[in-house]
Amino acid sequence: MTTDTRMTETAVTDRLSQGRAFYHSQVFRRQMILAALVLALFFSLCVDLALGPARYSLGEVVAALFTPDSVSQQARVIVWEIRMPVALMALVVGASLSVAGAQMQTILSNPLASPFTLGISAGASFGAALGLAFGVAIVPAAIEFVVPINAFVMAMFTAFLIHALSLKRGVTVETIVLIDIAMVFIFNSLMALIQFFASQEAVSAVVFWTMGSLTKATWPKFWIALSILALSMPLLARHGWALTAMRLGDAKAESMGVNPRALRLEVLVLVSLLAAIAVAFVGTIGFIGLVGPHIARILLGEDQRFFLPGSALCGALILSVGSVISKIIIPGTIIPIGIITSLVGIPFFLFLVLNHKKASW
Amino acid sequence: MLNSPRLKILLGTLITFACGATAMADAITVTDVAGREITLDGPAERVILGEGRQIYLLGLLEPEAPFAHVVGWREDFSQADPDNYARYAERFPEIEAIPTFGGFKDGTFDVEQAASLNPDVVLMNIEAKAATEDAAYDDKLAQLGIPIVYVDFREDPIEHTIPSMRIIGQIMDDEEAAEEFIEFAETQLARVTDVIAEANPERPSVFIDRAGGYSDECCMSFGPANFGDYVTLAGGSNIAEGIIPNSFGNLNPEQIIAANPDHVVVTGGNWDAYVPGGNWVGVGPGSDMQSARAKLEALTERTAMTGIKAVESGNFHAIWHQFYNSPYYFVAVQQLAKWLHPELFEDLDPNATMKELHERFLPIDYETGYWISLHDD
Repeated sequence: MTTDTRMTETAVTDRLSQGRAFYHSQVFRRQMILAALVLALFFSLCVDLALGPARYSLGEVVAALFTPDSVSQQARVIVWEIRMPVALMALVVGASLSVAGAQMQTILSNPLASPFTLGISAGASFGAALGLAFGVAIVPAAIEFVVPINAFVMAMFTAFLIHALSLKRGVTVETIVLIDIAMVFIFNSLMALIQFFASQEAVSAVVFWTMGSLTKATWPKFWIALSILALSMPLLARHGWALTAMRLGDAKAESMGVNPRALRLEVLVLVSLLAAIAVAFVGTIGFIGLVGPHIARILLGEDQRFFLPGSALCGALILSVGSVISKIIIPGTIIPIGIITSLVGIPFFLFLVLNHKKASW
Repeated sequence: MLNSPRLKILLGTLITFACGATAMADAITVTDVAGREITLDGPAERVILGEGRQIYLLGLLEPEAPFAHVVGWREDFSQADPDNYARYAERFPEIEAIPTFGGFKDGTFDVEQAASLNPDVVLMNIEAKAATEDAAYDDKLAQLGIPIVYVDFREDPIEHTIPSMRIIGQIMDDEEAAEEFIEFAETQLARVTDVIAEANPERPSVFIDRAGGYSDECCMSFGPANFGDYVTLAGGSNIAEGIIPNSFGNLNPEQIIAANPDHVVVTGGNWDAYVPGGNWVGVGPGSDMQSARAKLEALTERTAMTGIKAVESGNFHAIWHQFYNSPYYFVAVQQLAKWLHPELFEDLDPNATMKELHERFLPIDYETGYWISLHDD
């Protein structure tokens, strides 16, 4: 080998190792951000469990958590039956909505996509309102589950309607977004119609439902929501690279061996399921599905290996912090969580957006 | 209210011409609960009820024919209080034919329909005022010479029920009947408030479980108004006071365990139309006490009721929800007082009060079933 080629080789190796070092530092940085989010989430969960109008000391809460038999029945019930399901539900619902929003934004190549903007929440609200105002059960079932089942069925129905329409020839991603927006308006009108005819008691129940509330959380609901989340995450992660490629556009993704249509359908089913379960159990919480993924994208970039868990963690964190705040604004009452998340989350979100140097979308 | 003074003069002149001096002498001027002064050119013969349950007031004044002057009403009565509606419908079959308005709290209705019914006056609940004025219904109706009169027996029943009775008495030319009822209501209320003022007993803490069991959500309650006021008058202390700022609100379920109330009062009614087979307690006229009791017992099992004194002692009661929105609130106060201070009110018999109310003032017969307590055996 001549000196020349040897030199070029060294340069290439240098650049390669530089690139590798950059990649590793990038990965390391992102791993650290994920770790920090996990830590913040754990801290928020602890605060959520520790705070409440019953004013137990931290020691009592810890005792109730780890040696439930050593504390009074009331302390046990408050920690395990009232605070715990709410605190955990906040994590699962926040993560579900945020992941759903993240993947909707990915498959539809639209930064405005989220379960809330795309009619799934509106469909769920309509189903819930039918149950709340007129006692209509879409699927005959136990009376205490009419509202969540109605909400779930309508949300899934909306998702499949959107999918069916999107299969027509010549339908582009933009058309799908427009169909979704049409769905939102249809359901909003139907909701208004229900409210117009319903009694005052029913109207206030519907309005309260649409504000979203974690107090509806129970253990069975938590387990259902958790298992859906736990099932969909690996399924979505499996398509991580393909979804990352989708962000380059259908044509480029296709040239990399991705089948955009098939992928879009599978992801749509999964995110609809995630969003529908979340909305059915706690009502509409609009902000998280839109903003959780954007925060994750700003912090972690587009790479699905980080973006997906990052979205889940951001969503869970926002809702968990929201849950804490909703309890402490007026001690003794709980401000509906849907109100809190937007009011508290938006300033933080704007701060991130305005301080972020690169365009994240 | 009229927009332009010119129009006012024109209308005034028209009325003068149309009615002549004698009719003017009969003009009735009332100040409604919103503080507006309204002048009618004679007793109202044709009335629209902006809320169907205003018939509770009208029924007191004209028990023989409460619907004689009603030309249209909102259809909330049949939905919110089906048991009483059925009783009224049985006695007065003509009520099925009264034109109805839809809409909800904002009191929306079709001005054209209202005008076509040619009413002398529209009775509106005060909470509909903002929406009514927002849509300028008041101006439009005023231009047709149809005044709106605001009454209230829900937002602040203690303060407004009696003035509302008096206002309706004046415009319907039923002043005597109105005063007779007012006297009765005040006397019955004083039977509680005088005793409480004199004995000044320790105030047991009370959680009012608004529409308990209606949804799986826990728990709706009343702030310092309405049933919150009733509890205070009856010598109790409302645990939601200082937490819920206005009439209506929600409590953190944990707050109920933390406050550990001595009494729980669930409000209930027959809500089969809204939540068929729900967990609500169906108290009301002629209700099925056995099922009410079973449902009340089931409500003690809720997480938010764990280990509270009210459950342990059996001071767990249910009362007819519509007392929050009817001129019979004083009966609710009596029954609450009896639950909270049984030793002070041994002689007080709310059932007898209710019976007298029906016999003296109301077109329908009294049937028991408006309340139940797990303390009763």
